[in-house]
Amino acid sequence: MAAKTTKVDGPDGVTLTIDGQEVTVPRGTTLLQAVQGTGTEVPHYCYHPGLSSPAQCRLCLVEVEGDPKLLPSCTTTVAEGQVVHTESENAMRMRRGVLEFYLLNHPLDCPICDQCGECDLQDHVFAEGREHGRGRDAKRVLGRDDFGGDVLFYGDRCVMCTRCVRFMEEVEEKPLLTVVERGSRAVIDTFFEQGLDQAEWAGNVVDICPVGALVSKDFLYKARAWDLDHTPSICPNCSQGCNIELHTRDNLVHRMKPRTNPDVNGHWICDYGRGRYEWLNRGDRLEAPVMHAGGRKTAMGWTAALEALTARIDALGESSVKAVVSPFWSNEDLGAVSRLTQALGGGAVVFRSPRADEEVELRGYEGLARRKALAPNEQGAELLGCERVGDDAGRGGLDDLAEHDGVVLILGDALDDQPEGFAPNAALLLYLGAYTSSALASAEFQLPVTTFAEQEGTFTNHAGRVQRFWPALSGPGTARPAWLVLGALLGALQNEEGPSSAEQAFGLVANSVESYRGLDYETIGAQGGPSGALVPVAGD
Amino acid sequence: MSKIPFKNPGWAGNVGEYNLSEEQVRGIDFVGVRPLEGGHAAGSATYPYMLEEKDPEGPLFEGPYRARFEKILTRYPTKRAALLPVLNLAQEIRGHVSPQTMDRVGELLELSSAYVRGVATFYTMYNKRPVGRHLVQVCTNISCNLCGAEDVLKAFLYHTNTEIGATSLDGAFTVIEAECLAGCGFPTCVQINSRYYENVTVDEVPRIVAQLRDKGAGLAHSTGPEGEG
Amino acid sequence: MGYPYSHEKEVPILSKYFGDPEARTLNGWKERGGYEALKKALDMRPEDVVEIVKASGLRGRGGAGFPTGLKWSFMPKAKASAKAKAKPHYLLCNADESEPGTFKDRELLRWVPHQLIEGCLIGAHAMGAQHVYIYCRGEFFEATQVLAKAVEDGYEGGIIGDDVLGSGEKIDVTVFAGAGAYICGEETGLMNSLEGRRGEPRVKPPFPAAVGVFGMPTTINNVETLAAIPHIVANGGEWYRQWGSEKSPGTKLFCVSGHVKRPGNYELPLGFPLKDLIYDVCGGMIEDRALKAVIPGGSSVPLLSAEEAMGCALCYEGVVEAGSMLGCASVIVMDETTDIVHQVMRMASFYSHESCGQCTPCREGTAWVTTILQRIENGRGTEDDLDTLVEVTEQMTGTTICVLSDSVAAPVQSSIEKFRDEYLALIRRGERVGAV
Repeated sequence: MAAKTTKVDGPDGVTLTIDGQEVTVPRGTTLLQAVQGTGTEVPHYCYHPGLSSPAQCRLCLVEVEGDPKLLPSCTTTVAEGQVVHTESENAMRMRRGVLEFYLLNHPLDCPICDQCGECDLQDHVFAEGREHGRGRDAKRVLGRDDFGGDVLFYGDRCVMCTRCVRFMEEVEEKPLLTVVERGSRAVIDTFFEQGLDQAEWAGNVVDICPVGALVSKDFLYKARAWDLDHTPSICPNCSQGCNIELHTRDNLVHRMKPRTNPDVNGHWICDYGRGRYEWLNRGDRLEAPVMHAGGRKTAMGWTAALEALTARIDALGESSVKAVVSPFWSNEDLGAVSRLTQALGGGAVVFRSPRADEEVELRGYEGLARRKALAPNEQGAELLGCERVGDDAGRGGLDDLAEHDGVVLILGDALDDQPEGFAPNAALLLYLGAYTSSALASAEFQLPVTTFAEQEGTFTNHAGRVQRFWPALSGPGTARPAWLVLGALLGALQNEEGPSSAEQAFGLVANSVESYRGLDYETIGAQGGPSGALVPVAGD
Repeated sequence: MSKIPFKNPGWAGNVGEYNLSEEQVRGIDFVGVRPLEGGHAAGSATYPYMLEEKDPEGPLFEGPYRARFEKILTRYPTKRAALLPVLNLAQEIRGHVSPQTMDRVGELLELSSAYVRGVATFYTMYNKRPVGRHLVQVCTNISCNLCGAEDVLKAFLYHTNTEIGATSLDGAFTVIEAECLAGCGFPTCVQINSRYYENVTVDEVPRIVAQLRDKGAGLAHSTGPEGEG
Repeated sequence: MGYPYSHEKEVPILSKYFGDPEARTLNGWKERGGYEALKKALDMRPEDVVEIVKASGLRGRGGAGFPTGLKWSFMPKAKASAKAKAKPHYLLCNADESEPGTFKDRELLRWVPHQLIEGCLIGAHAMGAQHVYIYCRGEFFEATQVLAKAVEDGYEGGIIGDDVLGSGEKIDVTVFAGAGAYICGEETGLMNSLEGRRGEPRVKPPFPAAVGVFGMPTTINNVETLAAIPHIVANGGEWYRQWGSEKSPGTKLFCVSGHVKRPGNYELPLGFPLKDLIYDVCGGMIEDRALKAVIPGGSSVPLLSAEEAMGCALCYEGVVEAGSMLGCASVIVMDETTDIVHQVMRMASFYSHESCGQCTPCREGTAWVTTILQRIENGRGTEDDLDTLVEVTEQMTGTTICVLSDSVAAPVQSSIEKFRDEYLALIRRGERVGAV
């Protein structure tokens, strides 16, 4: 049973001295949080801002003048006039002693442990631990346990911080993990073979495990932590818009990790989303603009392609447009489609998207669920006037587009479900996307564009929140962001400059959507900005 | 080896200067026979749960045990708090706490099976595996240790023909070491199922083992539910 | 009287009816003056009852020695008002006697259960508690059943329940059986166990009087403490102070075990000389052997050498002066045949077995200390190991949630300090001093 610590905001400020520095914090703040506020960190394991604090790792001990015993800073609340020393001789000696106990049975697995390089135990021991351990007796051996799902458990490495147990109990509210036995025989386990099969947010225990005890099977032995680049992004797998980091190396995404955002996803992401990043690494990409004319397909450079396309459109004159877009593309891209469509004489823009039957709630965190809409920007599309068609598998709904005899404009949707030779009557079939398919074989122009992971941009989540993402990968070949391509095309048609940055492109979008008024990249920032009107996306 | 100069009357306990019978010391007549369905709810959680007769497939819970289970639940504000008494009751019937038992108890109390496993494995007295008819728990902690407990343990292992923690081939005995049983003035203190045997010396062991193997013949009944010795 | 032997120097207050089977029955207890104190308490205001206990100076008999009256006064003052109903108060009786060397609570439970029940009811009245849980250790089958029967009789006789002795107050008593864990004798571990969790101690603050069992205000007291309450309330606080010392008033049940001729429970005034306890009350050492060491307060306190034991007065401050602590007054007497290293190893392995595993210093440290001691016992120790033992137990002191970790330090450090040659004999020559 652990004490819940919550930061109490209010006019009551408490002033105390931490390592000689005077700070004022709200009443109810713990010493550990207060120290974090000064820019340093007290070493700790069992404390986590999203969980209760049992104060059992005994690593966060600090010295408070007037108290003979060292106090655990994660549960001790601030008091007026307290004088706290986090690096006094006593505190350092005690922490060094506690770290020795941690290493006593810990296997020297660093060379084969995934956590190496991002391991709290390595960091704390390196900073404050003994140079040599004194244990001369055999270490206990527990081996490796498959907990089911994506989670592997290396019992030898476990420091018994019980963050994983508390996460399953308090946040997912499915107590599938427990501590079994007691004392030095204690080990984390599930109910025998039941494992974590019923869990849908279990991947988070891998994130919060401070050492390499709980690791992801998917990531096992894939890459060293220090080789990975971290890029802030938004999860593209449903409309919740969880803030994430894409971890990449050699231009491949190796894993997805949550990024903290108290207004969207706290510290968590779901297993459904976390596991779906491989499509960002697809190798079957369009790499160069291709023009299909006179029975021949010619790959070309952008200048030539845009010239040919501009000429083609001019030759068409007034023509009605029907467009289909993908809700996996950014607001900037969708906005560009919308503007081009209007410039060409107006027309309907539709999108297809997959839907699940049910939401997957994270019961212990209000407002967080894997939404039914399994795409990141349905809301963005709808706010730009796009309409959803097709079924919940993201197929069908394009019958009248297939008949259209004007301009058919496609962004992102590769029409995998459509028969060969889509829209045979179209005056012009223009496709911008990342991959191709047999349905698009007859497209007059196929232009390679970047996925969201390869460009800067924004998605709008189910609640209308606009959130920025940054490029984690380089697009293949000469692929460019769709807003850049379409902006350049529109510019050429209207004799103007298209937007030269995503920020500018967003500015154009914000002008046309009521609920985005007042938003720009600066106000959106890295945590997103709430939008005005909330347009419920059907099926959410 | 120091010899303890007590007169061991041979049943349990040293009554020293008092003139008492076994029934009087154990309070057997006072307690009487407790009804299986729990008696008064206040004491419904306190039955001996280490019995000789066990039914590993016994239902949880039917008949009088169901009544006792319901009584137990009335004493606590949460269902979770009834977990230890209910595990006691389950072990009373089945003899040990198996995964199926943990699952069923979890179902009854609306707790996850993993949680029940965590609690059941924390406590020493929940047998994780089936044990013999008589679970012999020999205290070898300091007070008894000073008075020869380790020899008593060895004697029990020898006379029951078991390794420590393993069950004898005839299913009659399992011998384990116990921590302090709070009978330190009566060394060596041995608990066999729900009964304390005090002042056990090495010489006493063969007789105790023989009597128990003989299914309790000649021993006074301990305080237990009807018919249990 | 003491059980199973008595002595004229005893002051039988709590133990007066040990060995008297009639005292278990409700009528038997009433005939012996029982439930008069409860009647008196019910007529008093709760605060006044607390004052009497404070005046008596009674200190917790479970080992911590915290002043009971003061502990009771921490409970929020609430009567049967709406607020109290929203925040029920609880009184917990700690009958989870597991400290090695201690066996007094078992006697109190099986001989005079009504004494304890009376104390619980008086305490419940004094603190506004509506429910009393008596947490008995799982191994105490027989004693627990005696207690359960006595509680049943209490309900039938109108002593417990909706209308206690006709006063209109409602106090319930539930007897709870544990399942074998020493750590559940720690007050917050007990609360967790009662709530149906693993019996792992909690961080304090918050303290039980504020947030206790089920999140409600709770007080926990040891069996012996609560058993003394009826006598104190009946006779007044000053009366209790006629025995013992200023800082340690009253009588104590001393549990003597080990190499004495007459081990058992003896109720003596606090401050009684340890020398007299061993040689007079208990009849001296078995076969009149020489005394080697004494543990005065259960395995969690430092050992006293024979010399120190001779000058030791058995009260809280007296034992501290002699170099140890009174704890729960379980006197373990060791004579010259004792193998100190083996006994310390056995105590360390006890703590290792019973550690709950939450705090790393205790979880890893108790096992480590046991392994080193086993190695020394097997002749494979080194002199560095002795330094390691002392330093490691130092690292385990003051760094954990509960004091089980500190308890390992006591026998290890004191035995290395006072019986170093026994360790060195094993290390240097593989020689074992002592046989047991």
